[in-house]
Amino acid sequence: MVVEESEANRLESLLLNLIFAAVSAVLLGLLFVATKQGSANAGWWTRPALAPGVALALLLLANFLSLLRAVSDLRSAPATAEEWVDARAKIAGWLRPFEFLAYFAAYLWAIHVIGYVAATLAFVLWLLFRVGLRTSVWLLVGVALVAALVLIFRMGLGVWMPAPPLYDIFPDGVREILIRWF
Amino acid sequence: MDFLLTGLMQLADPWLAGVMVFGAILGVVVGAIPGAGAAVTISILLPSTFGMDPLSGMTLLLGVYCGSAYGSAIPAVLLNTPGSPVAVLTALEAKPFADRGEARRAMSLAYSSSFVGGVLAVLALMLLTKPLALIAKNFGSAEFAMLAISALVLVVVGHTGRRLEAMAALAFGLFLATVGIETAFSTQRYTFGQTWLLQGIPLVPLVIGLFAMSEALVQLTGPGGRSKEVPLAGRFFDGFLEVLKYPRTLFGSSFVGIIIGIMPGVGEFLAQQVNYVWARKLSPEGHLFGKGSPEGIIVSEATNNAVPPAALIPMLALGIPGEELTAMMLAVFLVHNVIPGPDLFINRPEFVAGLYWTLLVMNFVIIIFLMFATKWIAKAALVDKRFLGVTILTLSLIGTYASNYNFSDVGIAMFFGLLGYILRSHLWPLTPLLLGLVMGPIVEGRLRQALGGANGDLGIFVARPISAIIVGALSLLIILSVRDSLKNRKSRAAWQINES
Repeated sequence: MVVEESEANRLESLLLNLIFAAVSAVLLGLLFVATKQGSANAGWWTRPALAPGVALALLLLANFLSLLRAVSDLRSAPATAEEWVDARAKIAGWLRPFEFLAYFAAYLWAIHVIGYVAATLAFVLWLLFRVGLRTSVWLLVGVALVAALVLIFRMGLGVWMPAPPLYDIFPDGVREILIRWF
Repeated sequence: MDFLLTGLMQLADPWLAGVMVFGAILGVVVGAIPGAGAAVTISILLPSTFGMDPLSGMTLLLGVYCGSAYGSAIPAVLLNTPGSPVAVLTALEAKPFADRGEARRAMSLAYSSSFVGGVLAVLALMLLTKPLALIAKNFGSAEFAMLAISALVLVVVGHTGRRLEAMAALAFGLFLATVGIETAFSTQRYTFGQTWLLQGIPLVPLVIGLFAMSEALVQLTGPGGRSKEVPLAGRFFDGFLEVLKYPRTLFGSSFVGIIIGIMPGVGEFLAQQVNYVWARKLSPEGHLFGKGSPEGIIVSEATNNAVPPAALIPMLALGIPGEELTAMMLAVFLVHNVIPGPDLFINRPEFVAGLYWTLLVMNFVIIIFLMFATKWIAKAALVDKRFLGVTILTLSLIGTYASNYNFSDVGIAMFFGLLGYILRSHLWPLTPLLLGLVMGPIVEGRLRQALGGANGDLGIFVARPISAIIVGALSLLIILSVRDSLKNRKSRAAWQINES
């Protein structure tokens, strides 16, 4: 059977546990800075810090126990040289999604400049090119996808998008249509 | 009877009927595409449903939910890849069928058991929800608080082998729920002076980031490619009557699926495991389980499809969502100021009755659609994963930005997309995080009410009989699961691998 999840590396998991434990400790440490006291006459159960305090204490406990488990496991069976190499590659892999998130941010910016249709078309075609889907068939599929999105969301469900400066160069009638549908 | 007739009349509305058919078909298609699935689709569709009336919005999302439970069997049989994680057992049992050239038989076994499980669960929903709501009318804040906490405990306990990770995810969700302005003194919590955090962490960007964008990132950064197709061989209608040869397995799996579906926080996985174990023990053909057993497919699919309608029972009757998808649907209720819980049957009977009928008819629509369209839907299952990633990421913008036209929402979605990507790659469960976020305000509000009424005396939770029973049961469950976790400690290497 095909299982698509990847196997995590013990050292990579240890680093992740360290980060999570540190973040939860910092958040818990900020409890009385990030929340106010409330009224002194009210009961203890109404204190604004109570709910985040309990949640963060639980978070810290779970992360700390995970960290302990990871450390004790590595002490009983130290990491091999292959695991170290694999860990470095996997930790570097954490940066991979940033590339696509950067494209996503650029896409959002482009909507405000050139409009939804043009920005979506550019985004989809660039992504298809970037991931290696570069034949003319994929180009057509990309265009069809954008057409379907416009048809369903802009024309069908009437989802509003900001009017970009680019549409100002068109005559009023065309501009109205572009703003309304594209 | 009037109550049910009101619901039937709602279904006569062509718009509602159209939404139901569209949702069901969309659900089947996305269920058939590994990597798409109900959670991704519902998270993207969620903002679109806010503009609809609550019944149409819920019908669309439920169509996707139920349809995907049926559709996930298609790649499980044809590609030996589950369309969603709950079709893992189907994939395991269907492989020998496909190898023998009986893919259609496996498919029809899956469809017909899905249908029986789904219809029985809707009937249970119709019969049990109102009585449960009537009982819940006698509940006070202490009982509701304990019920809500039991959902949180069960979601952690249910993640056998990853309970610490589930607890951390749940606690993080509970913490996120406290960000923003709290109600008792109108003071700010963890906003750090940022105005965009005053209203708290918005649900829609979090859901889209955590479930849709993270999935897109997984697909885009992965190797991609198409799966290898198995020919759709054999006779399609063979399995439709064959399920009736195994009534104990069929009805027993549906029954257990319904019971476990009602329990908040447990979900399909545990229901399947429980059913699979007892069915294998009781069956005279138990030796065939795992080697292409018709009963194995029946157990998996009847259970899968019994859980979604059953999960609606605690949500409608008590206002407590049982798992991630009903937690997302709760947003539709809240946007339209429909308060789920005992008063729903008094305030909005037409809504509840309409929901019952659409769910029931939906099962018939799906099974008829599958009888004719399986061949074409199977093609959708072959879509290149990289293209799927492109599609999901593009759709994510519509969901996040267009729901509120707010840049900070997109930032939140991107943050949770990245977090979801990292958590997924380490097999951390995402459901507890969402459940914590949705249930946090409910738990805090009910606890404050209960303790306020008792002047801060914690004894209130054991002084009332129902609350005391829940406290006792939860304490026992926690002790047993801690003992079980300590006893069955595996090496880190063993539990890091996806055991499913």
